[in-house]
Amino acid sequence: MEAELDLARSAVDVAVRAGAHEAEATFSVARRFSTEARDKEITKLEQSVSRNLSLRVFVSGAKATLATSDFEADSLAAFVREAVDAARYVAGDEFGGLPDLALVAPSDAGLGMYSGDVTTRKAASKIGDALELESIARAADARIVNSGGSRVLDTDATIVLANSNGFAGAYRASSALFATSPIAQDGANKLVGSYGTASRSYGTLEAVGAVAAKAAHRALGMIGARKPPTMRCAVIFDRDVAASVLGDIFAAINAANVSLGNSFLIGKIGERVGSELATIVDDGRLPHALGTSPFDAEGVPTGRNVVFERGVLRTFLYDTYYGRKLGAASTANAAGGGIGPNNFYLEPGPGTPQELIASTRRGILVMDTIGFATESVTGTYSRGARGYYIEDGEITHPVDEFTIAGNLVEMLAAIDAVASDLVFDQPIVAPTFRVAEMTVSGGA
Amino acid sequence: MERVLSRALGAADYADAFYERRVVRSFRLQEGRVHEAGLSVVSGIGIRVISGDRAGYAHTGDLSERALLETASVAALIAKDGAARVASIRIPAHPEQAVSVYGTTHSSLAAESATYVDLLARADIAARAYDPRIRSVNASISDELQDVVIATSDGRYVTDRRPLVTLAVQCVAQGTERGTGFCGDGGRSGLDVLLERSPEKLAREAARIACVNCDARETPAGVCEVVVGAGSGGVLLHEAVGHGLEGDFNRQGTSLYSGRMGERVASELVTIYDDGDVPCERGSISIDDEGTPGQHKVLVENGILRGYMHDRLNARLMGGTSTGSGRRQSFRVMPQPRMCNTYMPAGTSTFEEIVGSVKRGIFAASFAGGQVEISKGDFVFMLAEGYLIEDGKLTAPIRGASLIGNGPDVMNRVVMVGNDARFATRHYTCGKGGQYVPVGVGMPTVKLSSVTVGGSSVGS
Repeated sequence: MEAELDLARSAVDVAVRAGAHEAEATFSVARRFSTEARDKEITKLEQSVSRNLSLRVFVSGAKATLATSDFEADSLAAFVREAVDAARYVAGDEFGGLPDLALVAPSDAGLGMYSGDVTTRKAASKIGDALELESIARAADARIVNSGGSRVLDTDATIVLANSNGFAGAYRASSALFATSPIAQDGANKLVGSYGTASRSYGTLEAVGAVAAKAAHRALGMIGARKPPTMRCAVIFDRDVAASVLGDIFAAINAANVSLGNSFLIGKIGERVGSELATIVDDGRLPHALGTSPFDAEGVPTGRNVVFERGVLRTFLYDTYYGRKLGAASTANAAGGGIGPNNFYLEPGPGTPQELIASTRRGILVMDTIGFATESVTGTYSRGARGYYIEDGEITHPVDEFTIAGNLVEMLAAIDAVASDLVFDQPIVAPTFRVAEMTVSGGA
Repeated sequence: MERVLSRALGAADYADAFYERRVVRSFRLQEGRVHEAGLSVVSGIGIRVISGDRAGYAHTGDLSERALLETASVAALIAKDGAARVASIRIPAHPEQAVSVYGTTHSSLAAESATYVDLLARADIAARAYDPRIRSVNASISDELQDVVIATSDGRYVTDRRPLVTLAVQCVAQGTERGTGFCGDGGRSGLDVLLERSPEKLAREAARIACVNCDARETPAGVCEVVVGAGSGGVLLHEAVGHGLEGDFNRQGTSLYSGRMGERVASELVTIYDDGDVPCERGSISIDDEGTPGQHKVLVENGILRGYMHDRLNARLMGGTSTGSGRRQSFRVMPQPRMCNTYMPAGTSTFEEIVGSVKRGIFAASFAGGQVEISKGDFVFMLAEGYLIEDGKLTAPIRGASLIGNGPDVMNRVVMVGNDARFATRHYTCGKGGQYVPVGVGMPTVKLSSVTVGGSSVGS
């Protein structure tokens, strides 16, 4: 990784020579393989290496950034100088600047971020996986007549970080993903069922057969779906949708949003906001998890932070700038120029999702949502949804074309059951959970 | 380039190369001062090889001949089992410059940082002065210039220089609750277009919406009549119809509109166009990312399905021609059939007639965005500003509302079309398959006879 570190260091040097008081460069080299199968054929095959440099420069705390894929020496130097010059038009800021770090970067040993099999596994085998995903999903039932395609994707990325204080760190991370979207025909309606999952390694990825079967089950399950009545009832979020709700909660504990007044959790540290079952954690050091890394985008070592402890809000999540501004230490959540999750998750509960359904008198199990109407300022939540109607602990029929609505504060407080099915297959994850009551808008 | 394309083509049907160099300058203001400056440079070449309905792709940021030949070889792997044939590729010595549908393309490059910073400061001052309830203002400006060169194995060799400016203002107001308001403007032109249209005007509009929303009430859930506002109501066309008419979904038979050409898919009041050649509009392109000119397309005419949107791959496989709809986010990804500026032309009703005809319903003044599932056609739109309509009059503002429905079902419920067609003053970016491209939408005021409104209050 020395060549990559040299490039990052040289960009830092150019910035300092151009007048930056501080500078930090991240250089990434990411190899990506992606293929798609439809029916019996491979329809897409993509293989490339992307190289990207991102630079942050500070002049009296005023920040400018540069992101570039052009490394030709003269052109790079000219852009670095332009970024430093642009920083002079930014207001000086007492909180701006690099973090105070030890010069020795934390090691990635034991974090399980890299598996060689994403590179050693032959392209023919990956193509075989895509074809098999497609054929198993299509063969699952005669009513599955088409598909939106089956994908196999992997990445192998090296990331290095150097700054003008002498910090230098590097790590390598891999990922592999299977996804498929079979389509079931229901009269005139085409019903897509999508399922995908990722891991650090092909070896630990959910098996092709299981991924295809889940997707097929989702498509077939929607046959005969109708609008539910407009009502107040329990809403169960299947784990994929549960993760997206956690994403909305993340926006509200993001210190940048808190600082700018864009969060419904402002002023609530130490208060009980959620139910006893709402323990939500950000942890950057879970071995093999997809949100794991030894240090964040500023080089700050990752750790474990309990954000909600049995419903009580304990902390927001900070980068260096918003930490200084709000009087807290960075929680190592700097990411891509803003604040992002490490592994941000809801602690699992004891029972299976099936047991959770069986304990629900009347409600809706939500399998998919569409739309993105969450106001982080007020916590107002509304989504289009489809899933299953539950009566007396049993799934009675599929439902679609309705919305679920509520307020995230009320939803957190009303979490009355959490299942055990937590899988760390993306940075923000959650097990299936139930909110005691929400508004369902459907038919009359 | 001929050598590179020959290597790529090998035994395949078609190969193309897409060079891009995109420079984006941006500034962001928050809490009354300029918080950050940004500069982004995207530069590289993507090579695509097509064999039947199979596409191979590879890209590189290294523009040396050695790297390009290697990239071409990787892209060509998809077609390696095809029948070998001699490829003779002839490309003109110089690329042809596309006929521009943009405004000024060079003024921005010469702009001083102070010009951007001044525009942001003017927006900030105007928003704060609008109302004492305004608590925070976030403003950003971005100025982009993208140069592309496209070379194809069938001898097309064209270049285009695409400007894109955007000014966006977001305000938070404190009333009985906090409310947000957003407004954006810009288009495919230089900074002069932002100066002409006034940053103050834009900022006051964002502040006005924030003030409306901070005293808005919960939205009643259920089915009712809905009046969709002119301009950003075009999101409805984009989601409910547009995506379903993209060529890839129709070739694969995964869209609910597949195989329905010439059939009635909407009320006879509904006509929908998608135009790539509207001067300076956000979704316009002189040529698409395969070198085909941006053009006027009739998608739906008086309720009858008239056309799909095609890139070259899908056009060829479906026996049609490209409609200049092949677009991509960057050189790192393959083009897909995409929308440009999707809109409905004016009808005959006035705004007052439309609202006056509603006994009890919702006025969706503007949308924050939407999403559609293209196979069954179910969609959702999120309101940015909305009101109750009671006895033909706009009454209380509502918060957190969304509309949910099914594309053809809702388009059959269009019962009145206004005479006030215009493009949205919000700026939209469309996402598909992980790729984001700027688009435009437009519509006159439209009345829908019944739609499910997602809200949080239930009652009579």
